[in-house]
Amino acid sequence: MQRSRVSGEIFEGVDGWTVLLYLLLLAVGCISITCATFTDESAESAEIFSMSRFYMKQIVWAAVAITTGLVVLLLDARFYHMFAYPAYIGGLLLLLATLVLGKEVNGAKAWFEFGSFKVQPVEFAKIATALAVARAMSAYSFSISRFGNLMKIGFIIGLPLLIIIMQNDTGSGIVLGSFLFVLYREGLDNRLCVPILLIATLFIISFLLTPMTILILLILVCTLAATESGVKTRIVYLASLAFWTILLYIAGGIISPGRLSAYACLLTVTCLSLVPVAVYAFRNNLTNIYITMMLFVGAMIFLPTTDYIFNSVLKDHQRDRIHSFLGITNDPHGADYNVRQAKIAIGSGGFAGKGFFEGTQVKYSFVPEKHTDFIFCTVGEEHGFIGSLIVLGLFCALILRLMHLGDRQQEPFGRIYCYCVAAILLFHVLVNIGMTIGLMPVMGIPLPLISYGGSSLIAFTILIFIAVRLDASMRRNSPGAL
Amino acid sequence: MTGRRTRTLQMVVLVIFIVILGRLFYLQIVDGDRYGALSESNTLRREVQYPPRGEVFDRNGEYLVQSKECYDLMVVAREMDRRGFDTVRVCSVTGLTVERLRRALANARTQPRIPYKAVEFLPTEAKLRLDELNIPGFYTVYRTVRQYPRKIGGNLLGHVGEVPPSLLKRDPSYIKGEYYGISGVESAYEDVLRGKKGVKILERDNRNVVKGSYMDGRYDTLPEPGKYIICTIDARLQAFAEELMQGKVGAAVAIEPSTGEILMMVSSPTFDPDDLVGRERGNNYMSMLNNPRKPMFNRAVSSRYPPGSTFKLVQGLIGLQEGVLSTSTAYPCSMGYHFGRLKVGCHAHASPLDLRAAVANSCNAYFCYVFRNILDNKRNGGNTKDNFDRWRDHVLSFGFGRKLDSDFIGEGSGYVPEREFYDKRYRGSWNSLTVISLSIGQGELGCTPLQMANLAATIANRGYYYIPHIVKKIEGQDSIDSRFYERCYTSVDPKYFEPIAEGMWRGVNVGGTSTGAMLQGLDVCGKTGTAQNPHGQDHSTFLTFAPKDNPRIALSVYVENGGFGASAALPIASLLEEFYLTDTIKRPWLVDYVKNKHIYYPSYAKK
Repeated sequence: MQRSRVSGEIFEGVDGWTVLLYLLLLAVGCISITCATFTDESAESAEIFSMSRFYMKQIVWAAVAITTGLVVLLLDARFYHMFAYPAYIGGLLLLLATLVLGKEVNGAKAWFEFGSFKVQPVEFAKIATALAVARAMSAYSFSISRFGNLMKIGFIIGLPLLIIIMQNDTGSGIVLGSFLFVLYREGLDNRLCVPILLIATLFIISFLLTPMTILILLILVCTLAATESGVKTRIVYLASLAFWTILLYIAGGIISPGRLSAYACLLTVTCLSLVPVAVYAFRNNLTNIYITMMLFVGAMIFLPTTDYIFNSVLKDHQRDRIHSFLGITNDPHGADYNVRQAKIAIGSGGFAGKGFFEGTQVKYSFVPEKHTDFIFCTVGEEHGFIGSLIVLGLFCALILRLMHLGDRQQEPFGRIYCYCVAAILLFHVLVNIGMTIGLMPVMGIPLPLISYGGSSLIAFTILIFIAVRLDASMRRNSPGAL
Repeated sequence: MTGRRTRTLQMVVLVIFIVILGRLFYLQIVDGDRYGALSESNTLRREVQYPPRGEVFDRNGEYLVQSKECYDLMVVAREMDRRGFDTVRVCSVTGLTVERLRRALANARTQPRIPYKAVEFLPTEAKLRLDELNIPGFYTVYRTVRQYPRKIGGNLLGHVGEVPPSLLKRDPSYIKGEYYGISGVESAYEDVLRGKKGVKILERDNRNVVKGSYMDGRYDTLPEPGKYIICTIDARLQAFAEELMQGKVGAAVAIEPSTGEILMMVSSPTFDPDDLVGRERGNNYMSMLNNPRKPMFNRAVSSRYPPGSTFKLVQGLIGLQEGVLSTSTAYPCSMGYHFGRLKVGCHAHASPLDLRAAVANSCNAYFCYVFRNILDNKRNGGNTKDNFDRWRDHVLSFGFGRKLDSDFIGEGSGYVPEREFYDKRYRGSWNSLTVISLSIGQGELGCTPLQMANLAATIANRGYYYIPHIVKKIEGQDSIDSRFYERCYTSVDPKYFEPIAEGMWRGVNVGGTSTGAMLQGLDVCGKTGTAQNPHGQDHSTFLTFAPKDNPRIALSVYVENGGFGASAALPIASLLEEFYLTDTIKRPWLVDYVKNKHIYYPSYAKK
């Protein structure tokens, strides 16, 4: 009787969907790690269930994580609000301590070691930062449009970021950039939001797409962003752009074949079109269009420099560091090897995959870090497009669900925190899976709940279950929402 | 405001996932096959499994050619670990010089994905050590290398070598680096000896460690070993003949008349077939090419020697067949044949002689008469040139002037001049006197020692021969080619052969040019030949078979510049006969005589 009341109290108002998605992803993680590290030799030996096996360890960690989740649910929601700043300061101290006392693993001084067990404090610093950001932004006097307040948030995010970068662990640090997602949700001015996003996106896509694709994308995005003018005007603008480009291309083809590329035509026409657009904006007094135009021009200037930044500025330090972080410095096949092998693994999975334990790329260690950062390769190779689709679906559902939890919060603290969790998860999924399929540069961050590693698993569990706890107490306190 | 931003963010999340999914769709479904192939090339290694090449035995089951296991070290430049590569260690294991290894690696890098053969003929111990080292990019391939336990029959057995690009293009069943038979038996029976290659598909991990076979070997094929061959050669006879022929230039061929099997075939100078195996092969090959005596030229089947007096046997037979001669016909000889100013000299012997005595004493004058009677025969219209054609047809029926169609590659056809040849040379005006030197096997006539041995076999058989061949049995086959079982009759009636054989017997056993060849109780028949030539001393040749009835061996020995038939070729042939028929040598002094006989070869002297 007593027990059922207590358990009823723990689970009262708990969002079943989130917990279910969490458990499913945990199961996917355990299965994938088994697939990635189970070899034929280990099948022959009697020690299939030996604790030295990664999959056995991960199962134990999963149990620890679920227990941790229960503990998180046991605590009162107000505790997290109260706990936010002390946790943040604690997190900062932990990070600083790592900087001094930590153990260097693959070039990054980001680990604490207790015997054979290693902890990466940055995982927990993420939780603390998320709580601190939520606490600061939920303060009654807080207004995001005020510059001072914005600076405060920037300070809260920037401080741990600085320490993490000093630890030589840039990959994990960049995760904190995902708080932009939250800031946008809380009403960050478009004029600040769009350029930051644009620069970040451009930086990444400029490596992947041809100049032509980037230009077309840019034109479409800018046209879409110029919301002050009507839909019709914008369609007319795009159509005329296309028309003149084709005309110029044909004319160029007739006059001197092969000289004028389609890219040059489009660029010329677009640049020329800026003049009538400016006139149009001036006549109709549409200031927003000026901003869009400036963004476009800025992006066009910025684009060629990304290459320079990545190759000259990043190449020497960051690239080497990322590689050494993954433990591949003595790799004979060059820097592209890892991504190439990861892509081969995923690509060779095809539609239905090669089947359980049949992934040769993973089984024979062609994929580096197969059970940690490149764990998604196992899914892609052994379970193909179908398996990838399922895993991605689970993540997408979890993130959207967490956003939903945030939206139905009545307290800004809970809302902001839930969005922080969603943003962190989204960033991890995007960067981790993105790097295995060549969409993202290689950064050593784990795939939440799936990559092998106890500290990361427990940190994500705490992160998610605090959100669940906040949601549950909100629903408990206002039964109408149940 | 809040609601709109939430929707925007939800869209952002969805767009991000759709982009990832789109990329996955492209990788896994659009480009899946390509990545699948890449994954296979990562993991799978197709190892060609070379079959052991078929072995060759002599007629008594003794090894002539063996296959010994050895290994090739292959290198795939793309998979090499450049930084961690230890040149010196590889050299110490393989026994290669650093310079040669570097050159091999440089060559391998020109086609970095394709396996390149860095080292050949590695012994098993070296292979095991290399397997232990497990150097990335290197692996060993099983091969067989030829070994010749008796070190005989270089030209006879032939040699193997790497397939040249021209053959690769012509025959796709060969692959680069494979061995094939270049000459001799190796070449003639290549299809039988080579066997069939297999393939083994292996899975390996990122360190190039083989993890087992792909799909449990479902797509593997086993190599089929080459079949063995039993040669007609008698290894001991061959070895003895090579010993006797040492230092002489020429050839010796022995045939078993009742089957056409080649018992022995020596071309001298010969070479040790083991010299054309292994890493020194190239150097040895070049030094043989540069040897003025041309050891790789198979004189036994390819040369064109004037047959000399041995050809008188054919003249006599044709004379009998054409009816211009009977066994009792006798012609006088006064140290030669005289007609006007023309003289064909002869040596001192009793005169006149009948056919048997003329064969025994090798009378030049007698066969000049016979030959002129054949050509000037009135019975068939009396046209000399038509008669010449008839004569030539007879000669060709003995296997002269054409290939015998044996199973030996590179068989020469010899030469018997045509009527047109003389028409051209003498502008149409020639007669039996013009071509008189043909009567005693001189002039334009050219024969291979194989053809001459075949003549001996034909007379031994009294009128027919079996096509000489080198192979007795092929593994898994009941018989060899049917043409080797057919009797080939000459155009001369078998009844005319007996007197010729008797003449040969008398030349050995009663009195004549061949008395040195007499062996007690063996009824040896023989005919000497001394062929004039423009290269120096006369060529010495001897044609023999024994015993007279039911002959077991027919032999032809040809020694260039050996002088009289009886002085060089006869002792060799006689010793070989004795050795083959009695298994003993009762005349060791004759062996010494043959071995110590020094022949001077001005035409082969180094320039």
